[in-house]
Amino acid sequence: METPNLTIATPELAAALPEVQRLVRFAKLEELLALGRANSLWPLTFGLACCAIEMMATGAARFDLARFGAEVFRPSPRQADVMIVAGTVNKKMAPVIKTLYDQMLEPKWVIALGNCAISGGPFVYPGQYAVVEGVDKLFPVDVYVPGCPPRPEALLEGILMLEEKITGKRRWPKVDPEQ
Amino acid sequence: MNHHSPTVAPAPSSGANVGQETFVLNLGPQHPATHGVLRLKLTMDGEYILRAEPVCGYVHRMHEKMGENRTWAQFLPNTSRIDYLSAMHYTHAYVAVVERAAQIQVPRRAEFVRVITSELNRISSHLLWLGTFLLDLGAFTPFLYAFQDREQILDLLERVAGARLTYCYYRFGGLCADVDAEFLSRTRDFVGYMRRRLDLYHKLVTENVIVRKRLVGIGVVDAEMCRRYGATGPVLRGAGVAYDVRRAEPYSVYPELDFKIPTYPEGDCMARYLVRMEEIEQSLRIVEQALDLIPEGPIQAQVPRALKPPPGDTCMAVEAARGRFMVRVVSDGSEVPYRIKLRTPSFANLSLFEEASRGLLLPDALALMGSLDLVIPDIDR
Amino acid sequence: MSARLESLVADFAARFGALPSSSEPGASAASGQVTVQMLDFSRRGLHWEAVLPAERVVDAGRWFAERGFALDTITGLDWLAEAQMEVVYDFFHPVHFWRAAVRTRVPRAQPELPTLSEVFPGAAWHERETHDFFGIRFVGHPNLTPLLLPEDAQFHPLRKDFTP
Repeated sequence: METPNLTIATPELAAALPEVQRLVRFAKLEELLALGRANSLWPLTFGLACCAIEMMATGAARFDLARFGAEVFRPSPRQADVMIVAGTVNKKMAPVIKTLYDQMLEPKWVIALGNCAISGGPFVYPGQYAVVEGVDKLFPVDVYVPGCPPRPEALLEGILMLEEKITGKRRWPKVDPEQ
Repeated sequence: MNHHSPTVAPAPSSGANVGQETFVLNLGPQHPATHGVLRLKLTMDGEYILRAEPVCGYVHRMHEKMGENRTWAQFLPNTSRIDYLSAMHYTHAYVAVVERAAQIQVPRRAEFVRVITSELNRISSHLLWLGTFLLDLGAFTPFLYAFQDREQILDLLERVAGARLTYCYYRFGGLCADVDAEFLSRTRDFVGYMRRRLDLYHKLVTENVIVRKRLVGIGVVDAEMCRRYGATGPVLRGAGVAYDVRRAEPYSVYPELDFKIPTYPEGDCMARYLVRMEEIEQSLRIVEQALDLIPEGPIQAQVPRALKPPPGDTCMAVEAARGRFMVRVVSDGSEVPYRIKLRTPSFANLSLFEEASRGLLLPDALALMGSLDLVIPDIDR
Repeated sequence: MSARLESLVADFAARFGALPSSSEPGASAASGQVTVQMLDFSRRGLHWEAVLPAERVVDAGRWFAERGFALDTITGLDWLAEAQMEVVYDFFHPVHFWRAAVRTRVPRAQPELPTLSEVFPGAAWHERETHDFFGIRFVGHPNLTPLLLPEDAQFHPLRKDFTP
C-alpha cells in the first residue's frame, strides 16, 4: 500500500501513522464490491442431469461449498448470482434456460459444468436432433468445468477460477496435480 | 408399525363456480423439488390440486436413437447416464441382455462382483433419495448425513470402477477390472458402519413427529393403481405387492443369496419410505453374503472383439433402485443394434401421478412425488 | 407354475388364434397369420409371445388385464425394408411373474392401431412416446401430443429414414 500524501497536524498523530496504516485500508469501490461478490456467490439451483448430483455433492459435507460462501443455492433467478448449468441442455429446454438467464440480475456469471453444458457432451453424434451443443450457444459462459461428470473438486476449482475472474487475482492456493 | 390415520381435509367441492375459482400453476421445469427438469401444469383450487399434468422431454437425450448409431460396446457409456443414480444396474441389464442374446457365459467371480457393486449402488441411490426427499419436505440435516454415507460408497466404487457416478464397469462377459482384497475388506467394514448409521436414520427421521405427519396416510397408491400404470419397485412394494425382479426373473447369482422383499400394505408415502430403508438393510445383507461366497477365478469370458449377436430380439429385466428396468434389443446380426428399447421404472411410476394427485394439497403432492423417487432423465431417456 | 402357464397359454391360443407353431413371428405377421408360441426364457427373456392382427390387440390387452397382468411397455419398430412398422406390447404379472408379449404389424405408409389406454391407463404415455418416435397413430387416444419431443415437433426420429 502506498503511503498516502498527508499533512500530519501534530507529532502525536505522526507517531500514530504506522498504526493507522496497519489498521486502515484504502481500495477502489469496485475492488471491494468484487471481493464481496466473489466471496458470496449465490448459485441458481439448476441441475439438469447427472452433473447436478456432483453439484449437490459439492454442497454437501465432504467437499463443502460453504467454505467459499457459495452454498446458498437459490431457486429463484432473481436472487442468484451465478447459474451453474449442470447437465445436458435440450432444444426443448433451451428457451427456458434463456428465460432464466434473462431473469437473473446483473452482475451475473455462468459456469458450464460438465461436458454436456460445454459442448453437448457424449450426446453429440452425426444426426442428433435434441441436444444443444453447449450452453454457450445460448448465452456467454464465464468458466468451463470439463468432466463427465466432473469431480466436486473440479467444481470447486471452477468456483475459485470464477472468483479470480471477478476479483482479478487468485486468492486461494493452486493444487499441483503432480504431487 | 402403528400408523394412525390423520385427519385429512375434505377435497374441494365441485360447485357451480369452481371454474371461475381455479387457476393454473406451473411447477418447473426449473424447481428445487422436481428432481430434475420436470414440468407440472397444475390446475389448482386454492391449495388443492384438481389436475396435475406432467410435461416431460426437457432432458430427452436420444438414448434409443444413439443405440442405433453405435456398436454394441459403444453404447455402454449411455447405459450409466440413463439413470445415473443406479448406473451399475442399468449397465448390468444391458450387458446381460447382450450376453443372453449372444449366449455368453459370465464367470462366477464376475457375477459376484457385479452383485456386490450393484447392491452398493442401490444403497447409494436410496441414500441420495433419502436426502433429497427430506430436503423437499423441509429437513436439511438428513441430506448432509446421507451424502456423507454416500461418499463412503463412492470411495469404494471409485477404487474399482474409476468413476464416482457414471461407472461403466461391466463388459460383455464380465468386468473391465478385478477387485482386490483391499476393496473386499473395506466393503465389509462399510457394511458394519452402515448398519449403525441406519439406526441413526431411524431415530433422526422415521420417528420424527413432523415426518410422520407429512408422510403417514398421504399420497395413497394402491396395488390396483400400480398394476394399471405398470408401476414397480418400492412404489409397488409399498402397496403390498412383493414383486422384485431379483425374485420374479432371477438373474446373476441372486438365487444363491438369501434376502427378504420388504413390503408394506398401506401404500402411503411412509410405506414407500420404509420399504426403501429396509431395502438398504437387505442390500447390506446381500453384500455380506456375496463377500463370503465370492470365489477366485477369471473375471472376463472370451468374447469376440466386434460382437455380433445373432438376429432376433431378446429382453432382460433387472431390479434397479427405482424399480423394473427392462431392455429389449433387436439384432440384425451386425455390429450395430437394430433397436434398443429401454423400459424405465420412473416412466411408469410418474404416469400414475396425474391420477394419484387429484384432490391433494400441493405440499402433499410434492411429498407423493418425492416418494415415487423419480429421476427425470430416466423418464425422458 | 409351468402347468398353470401352459393352460394359460392354451386359453389365450383358444381365444385368439392358431395352435402353437414354430414359424418365425415376423413371417407370420406379414402374411396375416396368428401365432402363439411358448419360448425359452433363458434365450428370449419371455415365457410366451403371440403375433396378432392389429384389430385384435385391444381384446388381447383386455384378456391380460382380466388376469391381473400389468403393461410393461410398448415398443415400436421400423422395418423399413419390409414397408411395415411393428408394435410389441410387453406384459408382466406382478404376482405370478409371467412374461408375455403381443406383436402386431401395420403398413408403414399408414401406421394406425386402436388405443390400449382404455384397458391400461399406463398405455397412454407409452403410446404417446411410440407416436413421437415413429409416427404411429393410436386411434381413440385421448391426447396424442408429443411427450418426449418438443410440443411443436413434426418429426419422428426413430424412423430408419429420419434425417434431422
